[in-house]
Amino acid sequence: MSAAATAPRAPGAHRDPLVAGAAFALWALLALFVVYPLAMLLARVLTDQGHFSLAGLAAVLTDRHQIRAFWNSLLLGTLVGLVGTVLGFVFAFTAARGRLPPWMLGAMDASVLLPLVSPPFTTAIAMIFSFGPRGLITYDLLGLKGVTVYGLSSTLFSEVITYFPIAYLTLRPILAGIDSNIEGMALSLGASRWRVFRTVTLPLSIPGLANAFLLLFAASLADFATPLILAGNQFPVLPTQAFLQITGMFDLRGGAALSFVLLVPALIVFLLQRYWVSRRFYVTVTGKGAGTAPFDSVSPGVRNLLLAFCLLVALAIAYFYVLLLYASLVVALGANHALTLQHYKVIFTDGVKAIRDTLIIAGLAMPLGGLYGVLLGYLVTKKEFLGRRSMELVSMINYALPGTIVGIAYLIAFNDPPIELTGTALIIVACYIFRYGPTGIRATVALLSQIDKSLEEASQGLGAGSGTTFRRITLPLILPAFFAGLGVVFIRSMTAISATIFLVSVSWTLITVKILENITELSLGPAAAFSVLVCVIVFVVIGLIGRALRYFRAPGAASVTSMLGG
Amino acid sequence: MGMDTIGVRVAGISKRYTHRVKGEIYAAREVELDVKPGEFLTLLGPSGCGKTTTLRVIAGFEHPDAGRVYFGDEDVTGKAANQRNIGFVFQNYALFPHLSIFENVAYGLRVRGQAGGEIAKAVGDVLALVGLAGYEQQFSAQLSGGEQQRVALARAIVIRPRVLLFDEPLSNLDAKLRIQMRQEIRALQRRLAITTIYVTHDQEEAMAVSDRIAVMNQGSVVQEGSALDLYHRPATDFVAKFIGRVNSIPGRVAAIGADGPAIAALGTTLVARTLPAGLATGSAVQLMIRPEAVAIVAPDTPGALAATVVSSSFLGEKTEVQLRCAGEGLHAVRYNAGPAEPLAEGATVAVCLPANALTVLPPADREAP
Repeated sequence: MSAAATAPRAPGAHRDPLVAGAAFALWALLALFVVYPLAMLLARVLTDQGHFSLAGLAAVLTDRHQIRAFWNSLLLGTLVGLVGTVLGFVFAFTAARGRLPPWMLGAMDASVLLPLVSPPFTTAIAMIFSFGPRGLITYDLLGLKGVTVYGLSSTLFSEVITYFPIAYLTLRPILAGIDSNIEGMALSLGASRWRVFRTVTLPLSIPGLANAFLLLFAASLADFATPLILAGNQFPVLPTQAFLQITGMFDLRGGAALSFVLLVPALIVFLLQRYWVSRRFYVTVTGKGAGTAPFDSVSPGVRNLLLAFCLLVALAIAYFYVLLLYASLVVALGANHALTLQHYKVIFTDGVKAIRDTLIIAGLAMPLGGLYGVLLGYLVTKKEFLGRRSMELVSMINYALPGTIVGIAYLIAFNDPPIELTGTALIIVACYIFRYGPTGIRATVALLSQIDKSLEEASQGLGAGSGTTFRRITLPLILPAFFAGLGVVFIRSMTAISATIFLVSVSWTLITVKILENITELSLGPAAAFSVLVCVIVFVVIGLIGRALRYFRAPGAASVTSMLGG
Repeated sequence: MGMDTIGVRVAGISKRYTHRVKGEIYAAREVELDVKPGEFLTLLGPSGCGKTTTLRVIAGFEHPDAGRVYFGDEDVTGKAANQRNIGFVFQNYALFPHLSIFENVAYGLRVRGQAGGEIAKAVGDVLALVGLAGYEQQFSAQLSGGEQQRVALARAIVIRPRVLLFDEPLSNLDAKLRIQMRQEIRALQRRLAITTIYVTHDQEEAMAVSDRIAVMNQGSVVQEGSALDLYHRPATDFVAKFIGRVNSIPGRVAAIGADGPAIAALGTTLVARTLPAGLATGSAVQLMIRPEAVAIVAPDTPGALAATVVSSSFLGEKTEVQLRCAGEGLHAVRYNAGPAEPLAEGATVAVCLPANALTVLPPADREAP
């Protein structure tokens, strides 16, 4: 009852010193690792020697090359959003309405899982292997010479393959949640299947489609790795321009200004997605499994067509990964196809420091990020304290902003005293916790809102105090959210690069940065080997977390829909 | 379970909410209740009448803006729910989904620090009592609605609460099971002799389980009494219409005689039971009569009124008859002892409205649903 907020608090709900302490500690951390870096970024962009100045921003906004990068970013984001949403919808529709046997649904999920958990350059490398000047398809298969893989179309293709799973995961529960009786009703009124789709199914999915589009737009806008490899000189985009400005021209202020330009569309999309689209859903997604349709909503012919299409896409994805594995096992793909373990030898000697650093950082960020997510999610949903609502919003900032902005902000904020963290592992760990921990927050909030208030009251009525109630009732029920948080923080710690490329140092480096170095040095073999290694580690850890979840999760507890949600 | 049975007293409980549109509204307004030790009291009323708020205040889940709650002589107003030793059964059962049935029922005992052996025995006993022996290792998701209801009941009574509280416990069950469960709840409460407060919006359920019923409307208790009292002697238009079905006939007080007030209605003068306070000769009133009291009699019966049959539906045990008498619609029920001649539509019949079945009330107020 929303009205209860203004009513006097129930007996026993006195101000808890533990809650106050935890809230204070979280605010302090958020202030330090979210608000402060962003404020420093803004200060750097908007001041000049202590005075307010728009000169830095003006320099960017009048540079024709940078303006092109801005429009290119928007164009790429729009195209990725459109194509990815359509692709995701076809997949989701086939899964929800195609009456697929369970193994086929499993295969479908597996084929979209792969791009979601891969390191960022995976599809980009495979694109070069396939369509580059000496590409398997362009050169060997088609015999084309002098083709260039770099530019809008290959960046678009690669990003769509990487990000359409987000649309699939967003749209599938929406389609599954549409009451099949509504479609059955339309059919019984004499509408054809196509008409039912056009007049009922599609209109009911529109908020979901809009949501998927915005998520993909944001993902593409923030993507740094793919355009860095594939966009080339002819198609500059903002994140790569900001990176080149800082690492190539040592112009921190210019890079900051570019990332500020990126911030505006990113914020608009975030606010649209959070406050506008998400309130327009017709279907409440309860997390319950897809109900089986009581009638054939697609004709056999269309069903086969859809299946064939999905199979084709899944095969394309599989081809990329097989190619990557193959490339890691031959001397030089496209030139010398003799099998060798040389690349793995390289990564386990020259690259062993990066592997060790990455594992240490991911190993630290995972439990801390998981705890952070559950704690903050629990506090903002269940406890009353000063600034509760704003805490949730602030905690989402680093998650919503493109990594480039967060990375540059951290670089500016923690490079000099009073808080000098550059060169330490802590700066990377903190970046991961506050950037990916919010997944755990969202999972916790979602789980807690599924848990009826009466459960805690029942415990209280039976004589349990708030401590016992939390330990025995609430905590076991939000455990799945904790594991979801662990999973996401670990996966992203292994695969992220856009923010942390600015934060690595001689003392602490990352596998993803090493992959990038390899690609720029054209040592594609070791790059492929690194990518395969990351995929393997990620899959092993996902498997372990899944097992732990099954072990800890009681049979009746609610489930988290996806470890990769958001 | 020979506990020291105590009564519950609710003294002037008020609870306000700030509503977005309506502004400040009372969910409960100076509610007074006195539940005797071992008594089964039901709070009955339409949704939003304040019955659940009152129950939650008694449980300690909500804190009243004014008023006190006493368990026996003890003032428990300031105590949290976990200090009150209550058994609460929720509408949605609120079974802990991650705990087995055994652990659900054992929960309150574990909180009280009882020994394992004692707990096992108590849980076994109470599960047998509610007919769920052998369900110990199941989980709530595997149980039917009725079984979940029984677990919720077992979990509430195993701690030997001082007071047993039910919040619409049967509303998620189908009609047949609802009747069975309410009988079980009643039998169990008799056996355990626990003071019980029960909330429902279903008047039949309330009449079936309770010793006493408190009818609530708009945050206040409007009438208290046995089912018999409320049905036959409603104090207000709202109670008359909320409990059972009733014919309401407009009239005017013609005279006040020794054997009851004479009311001018239906083109004649009818003698009714007592006149409520505040009404005098000339006052506009409404006459209430239950459909089953409207007697269809032989045409030559003295004092009978002529009526036309509008419709007649045979329903097996009874026949529902819709009549028109002096321009007013009149609803009658005839119970069928054996095969009887059906009444033809349009036929003229004679009806008798017995004085002891006619209740006089002030003219309809706007509170009626």
